[in-house]
Amino acid sequence: MSQQLVPILWTGLEKNLSYDFTLSKRGSSISILGLLLGKGGKRLNITINVVHKAPDTKSEIILKGVLKGNSEVNFKGLVKINKGAKGTETWQAVHLLILSDQAKGTAIPSLEILENDVKAGHEITVGKISDMEMFYLQSRGLSKQQAKKLIVQGFLSEVYEKRQIYESKLS
Amino acid sequence: MLNLPKGLNSKTVEAISHYKNEPDWMRRFRLKALGLFLKKSMPLWGADLSGINLDDIYYYISPTDKKFKSWDEVPKQIKDTYDKIGIPEAEKKFLAGVGAMYDSEVIYHNLKKQWEDKGVIFVSIDTALKIYPDIFKQYFSTVISPDDNKFASLNSAVWSGGSFVYIPKGVHVDIPLQAYFRINAVSMGQFERTLIIAEEGSYLTYIEGCSAPIYSKDSLHAAVVEIIVKKGARVRYTTIQNWSSNVYNLVTKRAIVEEEGICEWVDGNLGSKVTMKYPSVYLKGKGSKGEILSLAFASRNQIQDAGGKAVHLAPYTSSTITSKSVSVHGGRTSYRGFVKINHGAKGSKSLVRCSALILDSVSRSDTYPTNVIEEEDVTLGHEATVSKIGEQQIFYLMSRGLNETQASSMIVNGFIEPVIKQLPLEYAVELNKLIDLSMEGSLG
Repeated sequence: MSQQLVPILWTGLEKNLSYDFTLSKRGSSISILGLLLGKGGKRLNITINVVHKAPDTKSEIILKGVLKGNSEVNFKGLVKINKGAKGTETWQAVHLLILSDQAKGTAIPSLEILENDVKAGHEITVGKISDMEMFYLQSRGLSKQQAKKLIVQGFLSEVYEKRQIYESKLS
Repeated sequence: MLNLPKGLNSKTVEAISHYKNEPDWMRRFRLKALGLFLKKSMPLWGADLSGINLDDIYYYISPTDKKFKSWDEVPKQIKDTYDKIGIPEAEKKFLAGVGAMYDSEVIYHNLKKQWEDKGVIFVSIDTALKIYPDIFKQYFSTVISPDDNKFASLNSAVWSGGSFVYIPKGVHVDIPLQAYFRINAVSMGQFERTLIIAEEGSYLTYIEGCSAPIYSKDSLHAAVVEIIVKKGARVRYTTIQNWSSNVYNLVTKRAIVEEEGICEWVDGNLGSKVTMKYPSVYLKGKGSKGEILSLAFASRNQIQDAGGKAVHLAPYTSSTITSKSVSVHGGRTSYRGFVKINHGAKGSKSLVRCSALILDSVSRSDTYPTNVIEEEDVTLGHEATVSKIGEQQIFYLMSRGLNETQASSMIVNGFIEPVIKQLPLEYAVELNKLIDLSMEGSLG
């Protein structure tokens, strides 16, 4: 059994990030947790490929991005479950929060599944900060800036909380 | 009678145009499209199309040659399916192409009179080019250009057959228009072309194809469907595709929707060897809406590469794509989707939901969704799940006295219900029976 945690933090330094993982030992698992913080004219192409070759393997990709200025994130993910990798579970989640009307995002989370005894899925959301949330926080006395900051922190917190749980398990 | 040899060159195209006695602009349009077709390469994505031999295809067959001469010539497998889903004798012969569907012709003529009184035009597309040349020329190929993709170029070069529908301003057509009624007159062509124009505030439901299997001797079906939905109009286009298992079905379908208009595609794919079809909505007017419901069922040796495409070009537009796919007996289903929200399309919303069911360990299911967002003020959601039938569900149903096959068909029929619900009753009934039939011995 092997458990692997792959943290990704992007703050604009890299232009391309590419990851390839193969789960070939029965029961092994991988968790890829990413925070993508884009501002100015920064652009990122990020590719993540995971192949499940053995039974009872698990993979999880969680990416949260906050895009300001005219930054851009292009995500391409491919999770493949080979024939015979029974009992496999996989989940891809990509959530992008867009904070400027010049920012752009593309997400292509693909799945190729050649085995039926599996659980597989993905989800994507893209949107701006909801007006309702801003209104609520401001009605509680926060300034516009403070409210925005709090919402962004809350949005990103899932990724670090998960990371802390994993790290405590691994150590 | 025109009989052309196999293969495609400018002579074939000239001959088709000459035989149909077309105006010069159409002849030039076809030749230009042929040039594009020959230049374009096969798509590098999607299903394997290397089995198509483009030199071994008849590009024009007169309708009578397509049919079987007698009932005895119809393959046994097709006859059996007709029997099992309980299609009346006359209809069976018609579907196999050996008989005419006399009953529906009568009903059709009565309905036709009602439509004509309201100014509705519903004729074969070849007739439209002759009788309504102005409207035809104004809209033809404005939604899908011959340059769009290789098979749209092919269709543009050799198109033949299909329907033309024009609904005047404010007219509601309450009874669905069915291409089905007229098939024997024009015959469903392998390169058919449909053009629908819904003027401001009009309403139309159009149904193409049918759920009973249609046997075709042609191995390639490359159709083009163009829909123009004007301000405040609403069009629903329903297709049930059940071609026989030798057919490559490569279809381009697209609608342009203007202000406050609504376009709905209901697209069911059961038959064919390979299907590649992604009905699209281009939301061009403020507040317009698009909805795509896609159903794919892939059994032995079948690839159903289906999905949908929504492009948001104006503010406050919304789109919903729902895809349900089932693979069994080694079949392969792929959902391929594309959602784009352009810069400036403020307040737009899109929701995509895909679910896939894989029934045995030899089948396959893929999901390839592309989402491109260029605007801040939007809401986009996408979710997909792939699973097998739960053992608990099967166990429960079997404890209630169903056998394994009955239990699994019931679960599959429940799974695809959101799409079935949108179909006319007789189609829904046949579809459920067809699924029961393909489910026999499927759990392994």
